[in-house]
Amino acid sequence: MATTIKKVRRNVTLTLWEQSYVPEVLRGMFITLKHFFVNLRGLALELVTGDRRDRKISTIYYPEEPVIPPIAYRGRPVLVLGADGKEKCVACGLCEAACPPQCISIVGGERGDGERYPVRYTLDGTRCIFCGRCEEACPKEAIVMSDDWSGLCGYDRSKMIYEKENLLVPEARLARRMAFMRDKAFGKDRY
Amino acid sequence: MTAALVETALKIAFVFGLNLSVFAPILGWVERKQSAVMQDRIGANRADILGFTIIGLFHTMSDTIKLVFKEDFIPRGADRIMHTAAPALALIPALVAFTVIPFGGKYMLWGHQVNLVVADLDVGVLFVFAISSLAAYGVVLAGWSSNNNWSFLGGLRAAAQMFSYEVAMGLTIMGLVMYYQSLSLVTIVAKQDSLLHWGIVWHWPAFILYFTCAIAENKRTPFDAPEAESELVAGYFTEYSGMKFIMFWMAEFVEVVTIAALCVVMFFGGHHLPFITDAGLIDAFGGTGSAIANLLAMAIHIVTFILKVIVLIFFQMTIRWTLPRFRYDHVMALGWKMVLPASLIWIFIVAVALLTGAMPRL
Repeated sequence: MATTIKKVRRNVTLTLWEQSYVPEVLRGMFITLKHFFVNLRGLALELVTGDRRDRKISTIYYPEEPVIPPIAYRGRPVLVLGADGKEKCVACGLCEAACPPQCISIVGGERGDGERYPVRYTLDGTRCIFCGRCEEACPKEAIVMSDDWSGLCGYDRSKMIYEKENLLVPEARLARRMAFMRDKAFGKDRY
Repeated sequence: MTAALVETALKIAFVFGLNLSVFAPILGWVERKQSAVMQDRIGANRADILGFTIIGLFHTMSDTIKLVFKEDFIPRGADRIMHTAAPALALIPALVAFTVIPFGGKYMLWGHQVNLVVADLDVGVLFVFAISSLAAYGVVLAGWSSNNNWSFLGGLRAAAQMFSYEVAMGLTIMGLVMYYQSLSLVTIVAKQDSLLHWGIVWHWPAFILYFTCAIAENKRTPFDAPEAESELVAGYFTEYSGMKFIMFWMAEFVEVVTIAALCVVMFFGGHHLPFITDAGLIDAFGGTGSAIANLLAMAIHIVTFILKVIVLIFFQMTIRWTLPRFRYDHVMALGWKMVLPASLIWIFIVAVALLTGAMPRL
């Protein structure tokens, strides 16, 4: 989405043409009518196609329609579950060290083939500040900020401490965010 | 005799029904929705019956139900009689002005001539102006009787504004009256039988001036200084609730319709279709003798009239949601220093053009 900046003329004396009201009133009405008909066309199109992107009005009917945050949004941090069914995390502890509020605590262990993995991975949701340092620090793309913003609050603090089982999310669902982070890290300007 | 009575009763029922039960409630919805879509919003759409919302139309119903059951509040120290009478005084003139507006032509039905206007007055134009200036009483009394400073200021503003624009409004139409050589709205409409004879063709400056005055007279944005919610709470109807509050709103909406109808009658050919005369239309359906042909032509003419009215209402709504409010002294300056001289100049131009033959007489 390209944003254009419009230059607005201010504090100028009005010409006689502008002082006569009528042409400027018509100009204003042309603008509002343009918005009216563009939006009306969008609403009618949406009624036919059922696609909410056709609606030119950016209002989201919230409980009925899902809110999809932009790609750079930092929601609940999650652990990536690889395609092979194993977590990508190798329990190196870099995220633990990078975390400013120190909400991550890892107990590492070794599998039979000598590969390291987190036996326990605890993320304290009451302390997390959603800064994304863990995501940046991780060398294995194993922890990612998801776009999940719902269910972050609660009445019971003990229920807001996430264990590994609550944090694992399949890789396929996080592919867009991971690609975004890769581009960010390597300085591409694709988004 | 009986036929004439039935005809009049039907016409009155039609006019009142159209205004009070079709236009007034629908306009509340139109105002909400049109402004919303214009401003890239969705607008009220949550009221539903069994899950159906019909694009927010139920909001009008729920508002009405709410306001009917609201406490009818009269503040301490208010003049009870005037406070009660004022909303009616605002609403009735708006409705009465509609009686002289022709919404169709003349038709022969089973040997009885039907003239589609409730009262065919020779001084229809003057009657409209006379009656619409009475609406000022309702507003002024509402402001005065409420015993509230904001209401009082609103009433004062309304009085000054309405009387100022009254003067200019009467003068803007005089050029048109000279052109059609009649004060009767029925005659004015009858003379607009071809597109070239529509008032807008020669008299578009008068249309702009009249429209400005009419909106100012109706106290809608950009001339809503008497209401001015950012300065005067709600102006003259600050202390009103329930049905009385609705009556002020209905008066405003009915006046929107009346202004649109008057503009249609005076500038946009009334019920006439652009390229076919009344007689031509009746002939196309089977001649003047046939009652069916007359009825069909009547229906088409009424629909044409209502469609034109709807277009002008849309135009008014667009203005209302496009322009910000004038400062109060600017409203008065515009009225006395621009619109009034401009209308006098326009009368002079029309008079000279008619005398020299530059503008054809009708």
